[in-house]
Amino acid sequence: MEEPRVGVFVCHCGINIGAYVKVPDLVEYAKKLPNVVHAERNLFTCSEEGISAIKKAIKEHNLNRVVVASCTPRTHEQLFRAACEEAGLNKYLFEFVNIRDQCSWVHMREPEKATEKAGDLIRMGIAKARLLEPLQEIEIKVTPAALVIGGGVVGMEAALNLARQDFDVHLVEKESELGGTLRSINKLFQTSEEAEKLIKTLVEQVKSHPKIYTHLSSKAKEVTGFIGNFDVNVDEKGEECKFNVGTIIVAIGAESLRPTGQYGYGKMTNVLTQLELEDHMKRGEPVGENIVMVNCVGARVPERTYCGRICCMTAIKNASLIKESNPKAKVWILHRDLMTYGVDFERYYRKAMELGVRFIRYSLERPPEVIGEGKVERIRVYHELWRREIELPCDMLVLTTPLIPAEDSQNISKMLKVSLDEFGFFLEAHLKLRPVEFAMDGVYVCGSARWPTDVTEGVSQAYAAAAKAAGPLRMGYVKAEAINASVNEVECTGCGLCELLCPFQAIELQLKRDRMVSHVNEAVCKGCGTCCAACRSGAITMHHFTDEQILAQVEALFG
Amino acid sequence: MTNGENGRKSVLVVGGGIAGMQSSIDLANMGFQVYLVEKAPSIGGRMAQLDKTFPTNDCAMCILAPKMMEANSHPNIDLLTYSEVEKVSGEVGKFEVKIRKKPAFVDWDKCTGCGLCVEGCPVTIPNEFDVGVGTRKAIYIFFAQAVPKKCVIDKREDRPCKAACIDACPVHTNVPGYLKLIAEGEFKAAYKLIRETNPFPAVVGRVCYAPCEKACNRGELDEPLCIRDLKRVPSDQWNIEELEVPVVAKTDKKVAVIGAGPAGLAAANDLALKGHSVTVLEALPEPGGMLRVGIPEYRLPNGILRQEIGYIEKLGVDIKTGVQVGRDITLKKLKEDYDAVFLAVGAHGGMRLGVEGEDIPGVMEGIGFLRAASLGQKVNVGKQVAVIGGGNTAIDCACTAMRLGAKEVTIVYRRSRAEMPASAEEVTAAEKEGIKIEFLTTPIGFSARNKKLAGMECVRMKLGEPDASGRPRPIPIEGSEFTIPVDTVIAALGQVAETDFVEELGVSLSKRGTIETDPKTGATNVEGLFAGGDVVTGPAYVIDAIAAGKKAARSIDQYLNGQALEPEEPAKEPEKFSKEEIEDRKKRFPARDRVKVREEPVKKRVQDFREVALGYSVEEGREEASRCLAGQIEGCIECRECERRCEPDAIVYTMKDETIELDVSAIIVATGLGLYDISPLTEYGYGKIKNVITAMEFERLTAASGPTMGELRRASDGRIPENIAFIQCVGSRDHRHKVYCSSVCCMHATKEAMLAYEHRPGTKSTIFYMDMRAVGKRFQEYILRAKKDYNVTYIRGRPGRIEVNPENENPIIWYEETTSGEVKKFEAELVVLAQAMVPQISEELARTLGVELDEEGFVKTPDKLLRPLDTTRPGIFACGYVHSPRDIPDSVTQASGAAGRAAEAIAGGK
Repeated sequence: MEEPRVGVFVCHCGINIGAYVKVPDLVEYAKKLPNVVHAERNLFTCSEEGISAIKKAIKEHNLNRVVVASCTPRTHEQLFRAACEEAGLNKYLFEFVNIRDQCSWVHMREPEKATEKAGDLIRMGIAKARLLEPLQEIEIKVTPAALVIGGGVVGMEAALNLARQDFDVHLVEKESELGGTLRSINKLFQTSEEAEKLIKTLVEQVKSHPKIYTHLSSKAKEVTGFIGNFDVNVDEKGEECKFNVGTIIVAIGAESLRPTGQYGYGKMTNVLTQLELEDHMKRGEPVGENIVMVNCVGARVPERTYCGRICCMTAIKNASLIKESNPKAKVWILHRDLMTYGVDFERYYRKAMELGVRFIRYSLERPPEVIGEGKVERIRVYHELWRREIELPCDMLVLTTPLIPAEDSQNISKMLKVSLDEFGFFLEAHLKLRPVEFAMDGVYVCGSARWPTDVTEGVSQAYAAAAKAAGPLRMGYVKAEAINASVNEVECTGCGLCELLCPFQAIELQLKRDRMVSHVNEAVCKGCGTCCAACRSGAITMHHFTDEQILAQVEALFG
Repeated sequence: MTNGENGRKSVLVVGGGIAGMQSSIDLANMGFQVYLVEKAPSIGGRMAQLDKTFPTNDCAMCILAPKMMEANSHPNIDLLTYSEVEKVSGEVGKFEVKIRKKPAFVDWDKCTGCGLCVEGCPVTIPNEFDVGVGTRKAIYIFFAQAVPKKCVIDKREDRPCKAACIDACPVHTNVPGYLKLIAEGEFKAAYKLIRETNPFPAVVGRVCYAPCEKACNRGELDEPLCIRDLKRVPSDQWNIEELEVPVVAKTDKKVAVIGAGPAGLAAANDLALKGHSVTVLEALPEPGGMLRVGIPEYRLPNGILRQEIGYIEKLGVDIKTGVQVGRDITLKKLKEDYDAVFLAVGAHGGMRLGVEGEDIPGVMEGIGFLRAASLGQKVNVGKQVAVIGGGNTAIDCACTAMRLGAKEVTIVYRRSRAEMPASAEEVTAAEKEGIKIEFLTTPIGFSARNKKLAGMECVRMKLGEPDASGRPRPIPIEGSEFTIPVDTVIAALGQVAETDFVEELGVSLSKRGTIETDPKTGATNVEGLFAGGDVVTGPAYVIDAIAAGKKAARSIDQYLNGQALEPEEPAKEPEKFSKEEIEDRKKRFPARDRVKVREEPVKKRVQDFREVALGYSVEEGREEASRCLAGQIEGCIECRECERRCEPDAIVYTMKDETIELDVSAIIVATGLGLYDISPLTEYGYGKIKNVITAMEFERLTAASGPTMGELRRASDGRIPENIAFIQCVGSRDHRHKVYCSSVCCMHATKEAMLAYEHRPGTKSTIFYMDMRAVGKRFQEYILRAKKDYNVTYIRGRPGRIEVNPENENPIIWYEETTSGEVKKFEAELVVLAQAMVPQISEELARTLGVELDEEGFVKTPDKLLRPLDTTRPGIFACGYVHSPRDIPDSVTQASGAAGRAAEAIAGGK
C-alpha cells in the first residue's frame, strides 16, 4: 500500500462547533498526527469555499486520504465523498468525524472537554483513514425482462404495465385460464360491472401484446440468481421452459376460507360462503326471500386474529345486488365492526341502508346461532342496539369469510428466498414504507398475496410493483453496494452460520476444492456486517469496517 | 430545464410528502428526471409531523429522514421546495409547466442551516408545523430535520418605517427588535437582544442622549417612541442576575484594558466573548469611570451599574481597581506583558477658570466635585452655591449641590439658553428643582471674607459673531460688573484627558492632549496599542464611548488573530419618510400619544439621591413599545438581526418571486391531506375548553422534536394527564360535515393511546368509537395489544357533548353507550378529538392542473377499477390522501403505482 497522505479539515460550522471547541487547536493537533500532511479549518467546510478547499488540498498536497471533522454523515457524507471523487480520489478514502453532534452540542457546557474529545475522535478518524482502501461499486447488467407469477387481474395489470414499457414479460399462471379469483366473482363493487367482462378485456390485451409470454397451466419450479439475472425454470404443462429475467413480481393472490363446521357450513344445504354466493348469483340461481349474512366468520377470532379487509364490502355488495334485483327480498347483515373505510365504501354502505339492507351488530361474545335441521331455517342473534335476542327467518345463510394465504405461498417463498408473515401472507420489506418490496432485491409483491385487497387496491399495487420492477430494467444495470463482505475461503470452516443469518440471502455455501465454503454474492450483499460479526473463525472481512480499521481506532483512543 | 435533455424524459411531482417523495424516487430510479415541487420550505409532509407510526410504532422521523435524504441527494431529482405550480398547459408527453418559487429571503446556496439567525429573531409566530401548539420565529427552519435544511424569512409585507433609529444609534442597537419583544412581554429576550450591541442596557436606558429618538420615523407622524426609557424596561421587569453566562472557547491571548469606564468595559465585554483573557486596570477605587463618578446617583443608581459590570466580570473579565498606569505600573510593562492594550482612561481632568481668586477655599472644580460626591467623600457645600458652565456636568453639579443641602443654587452661563450644551429636558428638570440660571454671565473673580469665599464677581455678556464652534461669541459688556453672594462655587467648564503616561511609548497626541487614532479602527501609531472613548474624542456621550470600545475590540480581535484590521462598514444615514409616505402612514397608523415615564415628585427627589425617573410599569412599557411602527405588521419586521448574525451573508431582503419553466411528460399530484376545521362542532368545545385538543396537536405534544420536547401536558394546569379520552369520527361519517370515513383515525387514536402510556406508564385511555376500523396488516393485533398491554378501553358510542368540571377543568363527556342504551358521563383529564381529514388541494390548484375533483374534493379517478390512479386529465396521476383517504403504506403503494402509470403513459401506453 502506498504511504498514506492524510488531509484533515476541521469545520467551525459557524459558531456551532467553533464557539465551544477550539478548532485552531484541533488543526494544530491534527498536523502532528502520523501521516497527516495537511490540516486546515473552514468556517463551513460544506460551503462552496470549503469544498473547493478540499479539492485544492487533494491536488496540492497529493492527499490520498481525507478526514473531515464536522457534523453528521447522515446529511453530509455524500457531499464530501463527491468532493473527493471530483478531485480524483476514490470516495471510500474519505472518513467522517462528527465533532458537532458528539462534541460541541452535547458538551456545550464543558468546552475544554469537548475540545479534548474532538481531538480523540479526530485521532481515531485519522487512524482509520490511514487504513482505508479504495472500493468500487460494481455495476451488474440487468436482463431487460420480467417474470410475473400469477395471472389474475393484478398479475395481468403488472405484466401489461411492463410490456407497455417495452420489456419482455413472462406471465406464469397455474390454471389453464387467466383471471384468477375474479373468475369466480359475479359483479364488481361500485360499477356492478360483470367481473367476467373485465377479465375478458384484460385477457385480450395480454394475449395480443407481443411482449407478453403467457405460460398457462404452468408453475415456476426453480429460480436461481439475483437481481438483474434470475434464471427461471418453468414447468409448462409438463415441459421445461427456461428463461432469464431481471426482476420478478409475485401476484399469486389468495384463497377464500371455507369455514367447515361453522354455522352448519358443509352440513346444511343452504349455507354458502360469499364466494360461493357470487358463483350462485352468476349462474342466476335463486337466493330466496330471506337472506342472512354473517360477517367475520373465521376472522377476528382468537385463532385467526386478522381482519379480512374486503369482506364487509363483499357482503354489502352482494346484499345490495340482491336488493336491487329483488327489492322485496329481506337481507340482513350480521356484523361486528363495519370496515367501510374511505369515501366510496362508506358511501356504498349508506346506499345499501337506503336500499333496505338491514345491519345488525353482534358481538364476538354472543355470536349468532343457527336454528334448523339439515337446512337453516332461522338465525337467532342478540341485537346489540335493541339489547335483546331476535330470530330472523333464513332461506339462505351466507358466511363472510376472510381471504387466507394461497396454497402455493409456502413453495414460492422457499423458491424465491422471500419470507412469509405470521399469517402466511408474503412479508414485505417494510410494513410502512416498502409495502411491495421484499428484503430480497429484484423481487416484488402485489395484490392479495401480500394482504387481502379489492380490485382497485390490487391494481394500484400492481402498478407499484411494476414501477419497482421497471427501475432496474430501464436502467439496464444495478449498482451493488461497494461496502460489502468477503470471505477468506482458507479460514472458512463452512459452518453455514452466516448463510443462516444473512438477512438478504446474499450468502451461500458452495463446494470449492472438495469442501463447502461460504460465498458472498456481492451483487446482493448490503454490507450490514451481520455475517462478519457472527463468523467464528474470523473468515469474513467487512470492507470499510475491517477489524484492522476498527482496532486502529480503538488503539488510537486507548493506546 | 427541458424535457428530454440528454434523451431523458421528465416528470413533475406536486407535493413533497411521503407519497410525492416515493413517486419521485421510483421515477428517478427508472431514469426519469423528476422535479419535485413542494409548497412548504421542506419536503416531509404530514408524516414529518407525526411522532410514531402504527402498527410498528416506528419513529416517524427515523424512517422518513432516509427517504428525505434519498430524495434530496438523488441525481435525478430536483427539489423545488417553497414553490407552487402556476400553470400547466400541453398534454401527456409534452406538458409545459410554470413553477413559482417563493422568495425565502435567504440565499439557499449560502445558508448552512446553522440556525444562529433563528435564535436572534425577535418576532414570534404560531408554528404551522406544530399545528399552532408551538411557536416559531419570523426567520425559521421549517422543522429540525428539514430537507433542505435552510432558513426562510416569513416576510409578509414591507416594514412601514425606515428603522432610522438603528442607523442613528452609534452602536446600531436593534431597536425595532427589542421594542417588539417588550411589547410581547419577552423581557429577558429583549435584554439579551439589546446586550448584543450594548453591554449596558439598564445604564444606557437611563442616561443616553438618545439620538434614536430624534431619528425615529414615528416622530414624523406624531411623537417618537420613548426608546431610551423603554430600554430599561427589560431590566426593571426581570432580574439581570439570572442572565446565563455563555460558554466560550478560550484563546491564549491576553489583553489589558486601561480604564474601567464605558469604553474600556465595552471592549472588555466583546473581547471576553471572543475568548480572550481580559484584565481591566482602573485608577479609581471602583469601576465604571464616568458612569460611576460623573453621573450622579439620582440619574444612575450605583446598584444598576454594579449589576451590569458584574455580568462583564462573570464573562471572565478581571477588573483591578486602584491601579493607576503611569504610577503603579508603566504602560511599557503592560505592553510587554499583554498581547494587546486598549487605552480608555477617559477625560477626568478638570479645567481651570483662569481668574483671580480661583484658589480660595470654596471654589471647586466640577468633575472633581461630582467624583468626590459619588464616592461618598466629604464635600463642603455651603448654602449659596454657584455653578459655572452650561453643560450636563454643570446641571449635574447644581442638582447634586441641591441634594447636599444648598439653599440656593445658581448656574452661571456665558451664553443664552439656546446655546446651552446641556439637554433641554435636563435644564428644565433642574429649574423645576428650584435651580436658577443666570444667562449671559461670566465670572471674573472671587472675593473672600475671613478667608472664606464670599462673593463671585461677574460681568454680563452679549452675543457677537459665531466663533470656531459655530456658536455666537460672548462679548463682555463693559460696566456691567456685579457680584453674586456665594459661599461655594463649582466650576464645571469641561474635562480634559490626562495622557502624560503614554509618552514613554511615543504615542502620538493631538494638540488638546487626546490620543490620536485611526478613526475607523481605533489603532494608535504604536502596534498593538489601541485607544478609544473620551481619551480620544474629548468629553462625549456614554453611547459614543461604548461604540468606541466595541470598535476597538473588533480591531483588537482581528489583530490578535493576525488578520488585517478591517473596519465595520459605515452605517447609512438615518432615513426620513417622504411626503407621500407620511400621508400613507398617518392613514394606516392613527396617532397615539407617548406613554411618558413617571418621575419622583420634585419635593421628594431633592431630599436625597433617590432615582428620579421611576421607569415604566409592565403595562405602560408594553403599551409604549407597541407604538413602534415596525411592530405593526405580521411576520418579519426587517430588524435585520438575522442579517447581523448570519456568518455566510445569506440574508437577501430584496429577493423576489422566481418563475421556473419546465417541460415534462407526465405529472403526479400528491398534495396530501389537510385538517378539517372542526370549530363548527361546538358540542365538543374545541377551542373553548382548554383540555380538549386534536389528534394532530397531541402528536406534536408527544413528539420528541415538538414544542414541549415530548412532554404531554394539559394546557389548563401543565399537569401530565393520566386519564385520556379519545373521541373518534369528529367531523367524519357525519352528514353535517364529512360523510366519508377518514380511514386512519381509529389506528391513529390507538397509537396515541399507546404513546401516552409509553410516556407515562399506567395512563388510562378510553376510545369512543362507532366502528373500530383496523383493516391493515397487523392492525387487529395492534388493537388487541392496546387493550392488553396499554390500558386502553374501547367504548362504542358517540359522545353528544363535553362539559367542564369547574373544580379541576377536566372535560366531562356525555355519551350514549350503544351496547347498554344508557346515557352516561365520563370524566377525563384530557380529550383528544379525531379531527376529520380532507384532501389538500384547492379548487384553484385543481383548475391549474386541469384535473376534476369529486364532490368531497378528492381528485376524481374515472376508472376506479383498472385505472385507479388516473385523473380526468391524461398524463396526470394522483396518489396518497388527495386521491382517497389512505394510511401511509397505502399512500406509498399508490405513489409507486402512480410512478408506474406515469412511466407507462410516457412510453405511449394509455
